[in-house]
Amino acid sequence: MCSACGFPTRPGHWTDAGANTAGDRLQLKFRRARILNKILNSYGLAVHDDGRTPGIQLRSFTGRTVIVPDLEAVWSEAEAQTGTALDPLDARFLRAAA
Amino acid sequence: MPGQDAPTDTRLRLTILGGYLGSGKTTWLRHQLYEGRFGRAHILVNEAAETPVDDTLLQQHASGLTLLAGGCACCAGQGDLLGALRQICNERSQTDSGKARLEHIVLETSGLADPAAIATAIQADPMLVYHILLDEIIVLADSVNIIQQLGTERLGRAQIEAADRIILTKVDAQLPSAFSAVHATLKRLNPGAAISAAIRGGAAKSEPDPTAAPIDIPALAELSRLPAIEPTRLKIDASVDWAAFSVWLSALLHARGHDIVRVKGVFDTSVGFLLLQGVRNSVQAPEILPPSATRRANEIVFIGRNFAKEDLGKSLSYFSLSGG
Repeated sequence: MCSACGFPTRPGHWTDAGANTAGDRLQLKFRRARILNKILNSYGLAVHDDGRTPGIQLRSFTGRTVIVPDLEAVWSEAEAQTGTALDPLDARFLRAAA
Repeated sequence: MPGQDAPTDTRLRLTILGGYLGSGKTTWLRHQLYEGRFGRAHILVNEAAETPVDDTLLQQHASGLTLLAGGCACCAGQGDLLGALRQICNERSQTDSGKARLEHIVLETSGLADPAAIATAIQADPMLVYHILLDEIIVLADSVNIIQQLGTERLGRAQIEAADRIILTKVDAQLPSAFSAVHATLKRLNPGAAISAAIRGGAAKSEPDPTAAPIDIPALAELSRLPAIEPTRLKIDASVDWAAFSVWLSALLHARGHDIVRVKGVFDTSVGFLLLQGVRNSVQAPEILPPSATRRANEIVFIGRNFAKEDLGKSLSYFSLSGG
């Protein structure tokens, strides 16, 4: 590690950085799945995380399940399946938040 | 004095470090300071957003540091910059003759600054012109993103054109053939500048294929229709945890990576204070900051275009599950 700039930093996807212990990681996975489903369900998609399988299981409305490694891959796969990028600034989310 | 060599220029030397948002200016400067490149330099850091984070990273290796936040030094914040430079010059003039004087200033501009405009402003200042000698304009360019920036941002073009020295950063994320094409493109835009390469702030091997063809980029007139990019500060309230924020931000950058050119800020998690640094849709593995960074925790700056500022907060609150 370079002591000037601290590289390399935490391994893995950046979104996995906020949890250090096994318990925290599990909690992060479960909570993340709840949040993802709030978004994905309106597009006919769902994720499942049993806390044991590595990665995130993304299920389409046809029942097909794909295991993806991280959140970035969730959005790419969701875009590939629905044909559109899931935009958090889309009117449907802004209306629901208001 | 007769019989002696002409006195050397005793003006304070200034290096301007510029480059687009996320080009790696702070990483590079921090590494160079650590290696002693600028000696006993005073560092001036300008950030366009009102939530500065770069100074936290730099202060450990600098002999002095002045932070200019809340306005880009080439336009809105120019008065602050000139004032800070005058003060440094004043203090230097008053240094006792027996003591070592400050000899070098490094100005890290904001990613939104045109270094040439800063150089012009210093030249036009009736006091500073006698005290400060512009040593070099160094412009950093993110090797992977620079071609897109040159094609979409007038400013990106201006920065490259102003450089005496161009340093291509993040070259390890690129194939040699792509690096050669980028190198040739910059050489055509600014034939006078020396071009080198860096990885994580340290010098890297730069052996471009001399036969590589430059990439065609659109004429400047075609760029004028794009809206300007602006900084937006998003305060994260206590109801938003890392799970919600990371889901939301990863979705946002996936969908809008072309419009959100930079994300920067500190997020408080159970692990510690994570420094978030994103350029377009790619986010670095977050670094854990020392507790002294706490005063700036949970404020994230977004720099981009084509979104309403208030929509960021609204959208995030929907994702945070606070509504159930």
